[in-house]
Amino acid sequence: MTLEHLPSAAPSLARLVQELNKLPGIGPKSAQRLAYFIIRLPDEEAFDLANAINAVKQSIMFCGQCQNLTDSSPCSVCANSQRNREQICVVEEPLDVLALERTHCYRGLYHVLHGVLSPLNGVGPDQIKLRELFARLSDEEVKEVVIATNPTLEGEATAMYISRNLAGANIKVTHLARGLPVGGSLEYTDEVTLSRAFQGRQALE
Amino acid sequence: MPPPRMYRAEALVLKNMPLSEADLLVTLFSRDAGKLRAVAKGARRSTAKLVGHLEPLTLTRLALSRGRTLDVISQAETLHNFTPLKSSLTAISRGLQVAELVDGFGSEASPNEPLYDLARSTLESIGESPEDELPLLHFQLHLLGVSGLMPELLNCVECRGDIEPDRHRYSADGGGVYCPDCTPDQAALRPLSLRALKVLRLLARSDAATLPSLTLDDTLTQELRAILTGTLQYWLDREIRTNSFLNQLARADRA
Repeated sequence: MTLEHLPSAAPSLARLVQELNKLPGIGPKSAQRLAYFIIRLPDEEAFDLANAINAVKQSIMFCGQCQNLTDSSPCSVCANSQRNREQICVVEEPLDVLALERTHCYRGLYHVLHGVLSPLNGVGPDQIKLRELFARLSDEEVKEVVIATNPTLEGEATAMYISRNLAGANIKVTHLARGLPVGGSLEYTDEVTLSRAFQGRQALE
Repeated sequence: MPPPRMYRAEALVLKNMPLSEADLLVTLFSRDAGKLRAVAKGARRSTAKLVGHLEPLTLTRLALSRGRTLDVISQAETLHNFTPLKSSLTAISRGLQVAELVDGFGSEASPNEPLYDLARSTLESIGESPEDELPLLHFQLHLLGVSGLMPELLNCVECRGDIEPDRHRYSADGGGVYCPDCTPDQAALRPLSLRALKVLRLLARSDAATLPSLTLDDTLTQELRAILTGTLQYWLDREIRTNSFLNQLARADRA
């Protein structure tokens, strides 16, 4: 959307609409609604929003160890001496760390790849944080790498690539179980998921 | 009479990408309608019923409804998952190159059943012998054939004389092999070894399901790869994106 699309709007308002329109999932109409909502906000709330954007852009960096987004390096997880330093869980995106932390069942460290191998989109090992992972594994006393990439074709390819590069490194490589989602339905589950669920069945205790 | 609102299709999933909050935009190549792009609503939610059937390199039977811009997938059922292919990194990468090339050479609303059958049989062959590059080379050559772009391998493109064992040249833009006596002004020529010419001729008359058992050394494989990808890139008018990852894997294997 260009400024010419809002000929009667004030230039500053048209600019705000234009900027909001760049956000994912925000079309021209939504951008206009958000812009008018921001104009009607009390000054304090509008400036808080602007300051929050400013602060996040100025202070967020990659953690030197796990490559997660943080405002101090090492991040709070890597700096926590209570975490198990022998386990590293490899995830695709920072949001995956939040999802796993919500489970409260993993106490090791993380490594965020910021993507997956995607040959179709020209994303190779050098475009994601794989080199940092291998460097870290050669330096630290890690005994297990838990691969938690998404169970998609690209996630699986990334898992295979990591496993292949760690062959002979005396590190146990595991990946999260594949199977049925809680609340799902057996009838509508695809056969690959069902067969993986079958392979990964466990004894009831 | 307008076409029916609902229709069914048997299609190979070529790729998918996230769309809005939880939808998936799926690119498919169907037997009856050629390339299709359709939306799977809510497919990225963990309890979604569709997503497992819409992974790339899956043959699915779909029910779709026509939309204003994109059709919407309402049902999907896996017909063939190519499981052996998906258990090897090299085979997955080769399979993804098949998907990329079908996407590049296939056209929307333009059925090409030979291309559909070729892609399917190639994915099966790659799964059967994941370490063998021959199925991919065969696919690349026959893709040109089913797209009406098969290079001339028997006669000189310029003088139409029979090609005898000699120092031949090959030109992607010229459309095939040149004998040593012909030197066109425009075509970009590259040397073509007799061994490579023989393998190309053999592949041209072979079927994907009954590929000859050939052991290609590194030099010959690289020559065939360069000729075929060069020709495909000439017609596509862009780089084949999956190539760089495949080359990286090949380098790692040699190291």
